[in-house]
Amino acid sequence: MDAADLTHHTSKRFNEELERVRTKVLAMGGFVEEQLGRSLTALVDGDSALGRAVAQDDYKVNGMEVSIDEECSRILATRAPAAGDLRMIVATIKTITDLERIGDECEKIGHIAARLATIERPANRYREVKHLGRTVQSLMHDTLDAFARLDVDMALKTCRQDRVVDEEYEAIQRQCITFMMEDPRTIRRGLDVMWVVRSLERIGDHAKNICEYVIYMVHGKDVRHTSLDQFERELAERAGQQR
Amino acid sequence: MNSSGWLFLGARLSLAIAVGLGVGALLGAAWAGLAVVLVIYLSVLLADLSRVLRWLRRDEPELAPEIAGPWGDLVAMIVRLYRRKQFHKLRLLRLLRELRRSTAAMPDGVVVLNPQAEILWFNRTAARLLGLRGKSDIGLRIENLVRSPEFVRYLRGGQYALPVILRSTVGVEQYLSVQIVPYGAGQLLALVRDVTHQARLEAMRKDFVANASHELRSPLTVISGYLETLTQDAAIDPAIAGPLQEMRRQSARMTGIVQDLLELSRLESSDSSAPEQPIDVVALMAQLRRDVLARPLHPAQVLMHADSSLKLLGEDEMIHSAFANLVDNAAKYTAPEGSLQMRWWTDDQGGHFSVTDTGIGIAADHIPRLTERFYRVDSGRSRATGGSGLGLAIVKHVLQRHGAQLSIESQEGRGSNFTCHFPRERLERAT
Repeated sequence: MDAADLTHHTSKRFNEELERVRTKVLAMGGFVEEQLGRSLTALVDGDSALGRAVAQDDYKVNGMEVSIDEECSRILATRAPAAGDLRMIVATIKTITDLERIGDECEKIGHIAARLATIERPANRYREVKHLGRTVQSLMHDTLDAFARLDVDMALKTCRQDRVVDEEYEAIQRQCITFMMEDPRTIRRGLDVMWVVRSLERIGDHAKNICEYVIYMVHGKDVRHTSLDQFERELAERAGQQR
Repeated sequence: MNSSGWLFLGARLSLAIAVGLGVGALLGAAWAGLAVVLVIYLSVLLADLSRVLRWLRRDEPELAPEIAGPWGDLVAMIVRLYRRKQFHKLRLLRLLRELRRSTAAMPDGVVVLNPQAEILWFNRTAARLLGLRGKSDIGLRIENLVRSPEFVRYLRGGQYALPVILRSTVGVEQYLSVQIVPYGAGQLLALVRDVTHQARLEAMRKDFVANASHELRSPLTVISGYLETLTQDAAIDPAIAGPLQEMRRQSARMTGIVQDLLELSRLESSDSSAPEQPIDVVALMAQLRRDVLARPLHPAQVLMHADSSLKLLGEDEMIHSAFANLVDNAAKYTAPEGSLQMRWWTDDQGGHFSVTDTGIGIAADHIPRLTERFYRVDSGRSRATGGSGLGLAIVKHVLQRHGAQLSIESQEGRGSNFTCHFPRERLERAT
């Protein structure tokens, strides 16, 4: 496995530093995952206190980003890493930016959940939002797993999964429009729900970005703005050549 | 070594020497004959030795050379040693395999971690519960894969006495209990159990108690109301006045139980720690003292000692109900000629509130179970005094939410002492 590349280092302390950064990124990821779960619970259960708590806790995510960012700059300055290590640091800096944005989206959902808790809830209790939320949660989880294991296959699979989120987002959007046309009194709530699903869709996009950084970290290949199929073909070719 | 090899060697050697000497003597050169025989004999021995060496070097113990004499004995012994080692090795291997298989089949998840919390081994259940994957996860840090902030805090905190309950929201809702057991040289063993079922049952139990007590309250209010009017009705037949009085007393007791149950379920439903309102303990003690003295039967002496005027930080109502329960109990079980003493003091550890009485006391074997719901030391006596059986359970829960502990000392016939120990964070900072 490619993770082994990071562990064969002449300097044990450098090794430990890299490992610590990784662990910190994943701890941040874990916290953001929890924020997402809590914000969705607040929305579905109509728990305004929980929604406010999520919005308040966003400062912790920002703090983690700053601290990891500093550590990365320090490693760049003092160790001048090369090849795989350099890619890891670069990918980490990008990953935490996306994680921080995901945290911001969770904050938004928390705010809206707190507001929605005060008004009447729809008959289906936001079932479709809950479903989309579940999908995005598992997307996040798989993304962070791929980051932890440096697993390119999983990262590719998760990238594709993002399309499902986009489709579901479209479906809920259409549904909301229908509801709002049927009964103009639901417009206020409908707009808020739209904001929530929009945030969830954005979280899906950020997760996809992180998956792309994982691929970059392992293969040194930037797959942004290229089709995944093409990349997969290249991968297969490279594997064929090696054989 | 048995002597057959040496005997054989000796016999052969003497025979060879005799033949050599004999043939040499016949040819007229006995010494030369002897020398020839000895050279032949020596080369045979050396050839055997080289066969043994070649066999050992080839590392194929099954193909032992067939050699007579001491070299043969040596080969036989080496083979025997090898077989014995092989047997032990196999037995150990089998044992190890059995052990692994049994751990793998355990209903609880097991993860073995090194001091850096890197995964060394895990069984199938752990893989299923924590979402770990085959060989690729060996060597990764567990906190990178189980990222719940609560778990990370638990892992890094180093306080492993109690398990941590993790709620997973990905996919189906699941509650996992994870306990870390340190062993050996800094190694860690993480035990994972699925407690979803228990967590659900617990939630259902709490809901049931809360709902049932709530539902019981309204009919009870109606019954008590009518009973009250009836007992005050002068036109009532004196023959049923007594039973009516008793009914009123019992319905009042039932109301008390329902109220206590509601209070308990309220305490249980929120696990957050109590807010930090400053409470004037000295004033509270004075009020409790007045309440005791207002009882128709009360201990002759009700003393209060306030060694500190520091305020306690907590929820006013809860602390009041907990302290009142302690004082109430003491007053109930102390004879009118006895004494009751309340005390409030603070030290380096924090604040302490104690209630000491000279009542009937509690036998030592009852003390650990006193705070259980409806636990009766003696079913006769508490019913006679009209307790709900929930007082100390409430005290325990209130103290838990304040991070405090209850210690109970008692001697049968001498009296009891209940002390609440509050941590220092729960004291108002002295100005």
